Amino acid sequence: MKYLLPFEKSLKPLYKELEEKKKNWETTNNIEEKIQQELKKIYNNLTAYQIAQIARHPDRPNTTDYINALFEDFIELHGDKKSGDDPSIIAGMGSFKGTTVAVIGSRKGNTLKDMILCNHGMIKPEGFRKIARIVNLASTTFKSPIITFIDTPGAFVSKESEKKGQIEAVSEPILALFKAKVPIAAVIIGEGISLGALSMSIADKIIMLKYSFFSVISPEGGASILYNDRKKSEELASSLKFTAANLFNAGIVDKIVNEPIGGAHRNKEKVIKATGDAINNELETLLKENEKQLKTNRIEKYKKIGIYAD
Amino acid sequence: MDINIFRRKKKIVVSVLTEKKVKETPVRCQSCGNLIKYEDLKENLKVCPYCGYHFRMTISERINLIADSGTFSEIDTEIKTVDMLDFKDLLTYKERIKQTKKETGLDCAVITGKAKIGGFNTAVGVFAFEFIGGSLGSATGEKLTRLIEYAKKRKLPLIIVFSSGGERIQEGIYSLMQVAKTIQAVDSFKKSGGLFIPILTNPSYCGTAAIAMTGSIIIAEKGSSIGISGPRITKEVAKQNIPDKLKQAESLLQNGFLDIVVDRYLLKATIIQFLKHYNRRAI
Repeated sequence: MKYLLPFEKSLKPLYKELEEKKKNWETTNNIEEKIQQELKKIYNNLTAYQIAQIARHPDRPNTTDYINALFEDFIELHGDKKSGDDPSIIAGMGSFKGTTVAVIGSRKGNTLKDMILCNHGMIKPEGFRKIARIVNLASTTFKSPIITFIDTPGAFVSKESEKKGQIEAVSEPILALFKAKVPIAAVIIGEGISLGALSMSIADKIIMLKYSFFSVISPEGGASILYNDRKKSEELASSLKFTAANLFNAGIVDKIVNEPIGGAHRNKEKVIKATGDAINNELETLLKENEKQLKTNRIEKYKKIGIYAD
Repeated sequence: MDINIFRRKKKIVVSVLTEKKVKETPVRCQSCGNLIKYEDLKENLKVCPYCGYHFRMTISERINLIADSGTFSEIDTEIKTVDMLDFKDLLTYKERIKQTKKETGLDCAVITGKAKIGGFNTAVGVFAFEFIGGSLGSATGEKLTRLIEYAKKRKLPLIIVFSSGGERIQEGIYSLMQVAKTIQAVDSFKKSGGLFIPILTNPSYCGTAAIAMTGSIIIAEKGSSIGISGPRITKEVAKQNIPDKLKQAESLLQNGFLDIVVDRYLLKATIIQFLKHYNRRAI
């Protein structure tokens, strides 16, 4: 195990023991069982903030992993054809179980160099405009379904991005997705925060992994606004009700993909396959529907969201 | 180290001045530091007479500024903010709504209605910064959407005055979804040939600014702070120091994202000009 989360500290000696036993060619069944039991204990009582930590785990399967495993003949497209290319958005055309689809996702990068290049998944104005361009391309030219993978800490806050009109750019993908006359499935695979995540989540069906979250603000950012204290993020996280189960109950998310105990990073293949199956299921039903009907349904669905007294 | 110890540090003030808050004490201008009598300030449309700094206005002052006197009539008054998540920070959200209602008499962060501006019939929405930072909650989003549909149905020009800190954190994901909902409503309004004039005032951040940026003609008040994130989030997230200047309306104008930046005195006149042109259009 490369990286243990803070609440998994009790596993450290067990993993050490496991490694030592492996070195000495001893049987490891016993200790592996112990680890599983400990994991079960931890993962059965997770707090919201702990779920957020799992969602941000560096080993968690990311957009690139999903694309490599689920899509054949994927070819990446670059640039917004206006001002530049944002590497934090990966977009292109691929083949999903025989049908051509447009794939859009936020990329965090696997190596340190990639992570810096991709801004840790924070989206720049070029990125937002690239999403809008690919959505339009899929809707008008390829007439192919759109699948988005969401794993982003939000829109990038910096000098350059403000200069290039970050605030204007965020609305472009939202509008493009509303207008698209093709089925859209959004998959939240890790963290989904604020406008960055919203820009890719306008979809007919939203699929969410069990230990991922989708929130209006990061718990840290929210704590610094509401409490003026970053350390209160754990308290705020449970108030925000951003876990997959909460959002499923609220009717925002349509399907939850189960993750094994220990999180997706402990069994990547299984989770990626389950996600692929979930996407396939949703697309199959969506492809049967009329294109125009899809669009009006999508608009109606978002119009209904909101709780108020009247 | 900051050598210039005499320079006053800029404070981030997040309140709206009202009679209740400032009784007889003079007000200190946040920009130039001069003391101003509150009556004088009010007389001057809450603009500092020394340096031209635009203080925040209350919702009623704003309506009086923009609409012809006595012509504003509110619609959708029955929509009220509720606490759907049992949210709790320093106060419970329920308590916060109650307190704000007591202070301001408002049920929601936006007031919508129809009004005459320079004699032209318009649909008007005004954000109240005094209601939890003018943040976009479910009730706010619903009221805005209904206003936009109202304007679309009656073919009225739509004018919304923004002064908001962004989405309401206390309503979680629901508030984020309001951004999408409103942007979509604006788009279908614009497609039907409607004129949407958003007016960005100090401050306009995050989701609400994104909605404003979809306007047909975008006007901002002088010195307004507009951006993807407020000062605290910027400090939290951005690893580099972002100068305040870059978020000001003037630099957004330079970068090509606003149509006009106006003084508060000229705001109404500017709106009327556009309404005139819109009314005279050849159909």
